[in-house]
Amino acid sequence: MESFFVRYRNLVVLLAVLLAQIIGLAMQVRRTDSGHNAFDTKDATGVWLIRLWADALVTPPERLFHGSKMGVWGLWDSYIGLRHTHEQNLELQKTIDRLRLEQAALLEDAKQGQRLQALADFQQKYIYKTLAAQAIGSSGSDQSRVFYIDKGANYKLERDMAVITADGIVGKIREVFPYTAQVLAINDQSSGAGVILETTRIRGILRGNAAGRPQIVGILADQRIQPGEKVLTAGGDQIFPRGLPVGTVEKVVPDPERDSFINVIVKPAAHIDRLDEVLVITSTEPRFSPDQQQDMATSEAVKGAEAATIKEQQKASQIMAERLPGLLDPNLPPEQQPLLDNSNPNPVTHPPVALHPDRFTPGSAPTPTASQEPGVPAGEEKQPGAAPESKPQSTPPTKPQTKPQTKPQAKPAEPAKPPPANPAPVNPGRDR
Amino acid sequence: MALLGTDFRRGLGIRRYPMLVYILAPLTAVVLQAWLPRLLAGHAWFDLPLVVTVYFALVRRDPIQGTLMGSALGLFEDALTHHAIGINGVAKTVVGFLSGSVGVRIDVENRTIRLMLTFLLSILSSAIYIFIYRILLGLDLDWSWLAEAAKAVVNTVIAAVLFQLLDRLQIRE
Repeated sequence: MESFFVRYRNLVVLLAVLLAQIIGLAMQVRRTDSGHNAFDTKDATGVWLIRLWADALVTPPERLFHGSKMGVWGLWDSYIGLRHTHEQNLELQKTIDRLRLEQAALLEDAKQGQRLQALADFQQKYIYKTLAAQAIGSSGSDQSRVFYIDKGANYKLERDMAVITADGIVGKIREVFPYTAQVLAINDQSSGAGVILETTRIRGILRGNAAGRPQIVGILADQRIQPGEKVLTAGGDQIFPRGLPVGTVEKVVPDPERDSFINVIVKPAAHIDRLDEVLVITSTEPRFSPDQQQDMATSEAVKGAEAATIKEQQKASQIMAERLPGLLDPNLPPEQQPLLDNSNPNPVTHPPVALHPDRFTPGSAPTPTASQEPGVPAGEEKQPGAAPESKPQSTPPTKPQTKPQTKPQAKPAEPAKPPPANPAPVNPGRDR
Repeated sequence: MALLGTDFRRGLGIRRYPMLVYILAPLTAVVLQAWLPRLLAGHAWFDLPLVVTVYFALVRRDPIQGTLMGSALGLFEDALTHHAIGINGVAKTVVGFLSGSVGVRIDVENRTIRLMLTFLLSILSSAIYIFIYRILLGLDLDWSWLAEAAKAVVNTVIAAVLFQLLDRLQIRE
């Protein structure tokens, strides 16, 4: 047995390494509800550690390369060449080189400052809280369109935060490391962003194709979709805020896998392939500019003053209602009713008494409900306005009642009809 | 089957390099692979870890060393992507093993043979990658043979330069 492993050691090592990696691969893929295989959306601890180590190993050199815009190799070669070709003027050349380096650095800083200034202006236009970061590296593969930014958990970045530029959306954060973060670009095949066409209002999902071009997939053929139409974020994916620019329609191609469906190739608004500075949307809470805040404060003050005025008016109306005398006061005797008070400078005028009253004379016409009440004989009607529990009284039809409500009856007349067998008082307790 | 054993390396000229070269060359390849695409509009038309794996497996004529180096560099590449870790690892493991195995059969000093071998192994690596991705794992992936062939050509061109550079770093007795 020992000779077998020694003899076929190369093959055994190869199979062992392959087997371990295949088992590891199988543990990272799962079957979705739709029946397709997919990578785990969140890496396991072991996988995350491998990514962390790889990132920790690659990031420092990338930062170094990114920091020195001129490039390490070109700088070194130039320095060596100048030193050997101009030995007599070594000090002078060093001074020139240093000044050139400083000038180049200042120019780069100036350019970077202009770009950051543009980003700052952009931040003021939008109401989201953002964090500026620099792209420092990529995955190194055309099949995986991710890139790395120089800020991570130390700036409280989290997964699925949207990454944008002043021109448009770029991607979302897929993995966060202590000092860096991995961003999945919108032109990757596994990405997905809800978008909407500005004019036709057609919604779709944006993802990348094999060539790294973002395209809207899964929409029915529509003749209205024309090149040049703007594409915006739809806001339904819970990652990108609604209304951010995505790009413009470049062309429409048929879906090779499904009939009557099309893919809309989109020209991204952001320069995804040449990113330097990006913005990470760290919060979607509204953040307004000073002008907007002042407008809001003014609006709140106006609304508060109007509310206070309305409240004061309501309070004054209540006080007036309490102090003003009413037309009828049931607690006062009839002689002291406001309507009979001669002291009132503006007495209520009553209609004149008809000389020849008829059935059209006010107070003499029977009400429909009274005439239709069972048990009431013709010619006898119920006093309008009389309470059911009050004793019924007889009223001659020919004699109009000028003051039926204000003049109480000293002697109630004989009831025109017997009271109901089981009268239902409105409020028996109050009657007692 | 002697290729799979250990005695086949006897009598072959094995190149030796400073330990720093064994460390820095693969590390530089991985770092540049991650950094250079940013300067090339995001396109990675080359595979520097593959070229380095092929080179050291060929000149060292050791399948085990080629297997381990290819596995390590492939896993490193996978770790920088958002895909599952192991796809590039398997592909470059096979490439490293084959390079080390072929190294005992060919004249590694012949540049043309080395470049042709680099081109073929680059195509093989792409084929293994796509096979694992689409067949073994059953995942959706759009790809183009033309792009993979172009990538193999670029790898060959890089190898033509890099192999000469690394040849100068070997320890000469």
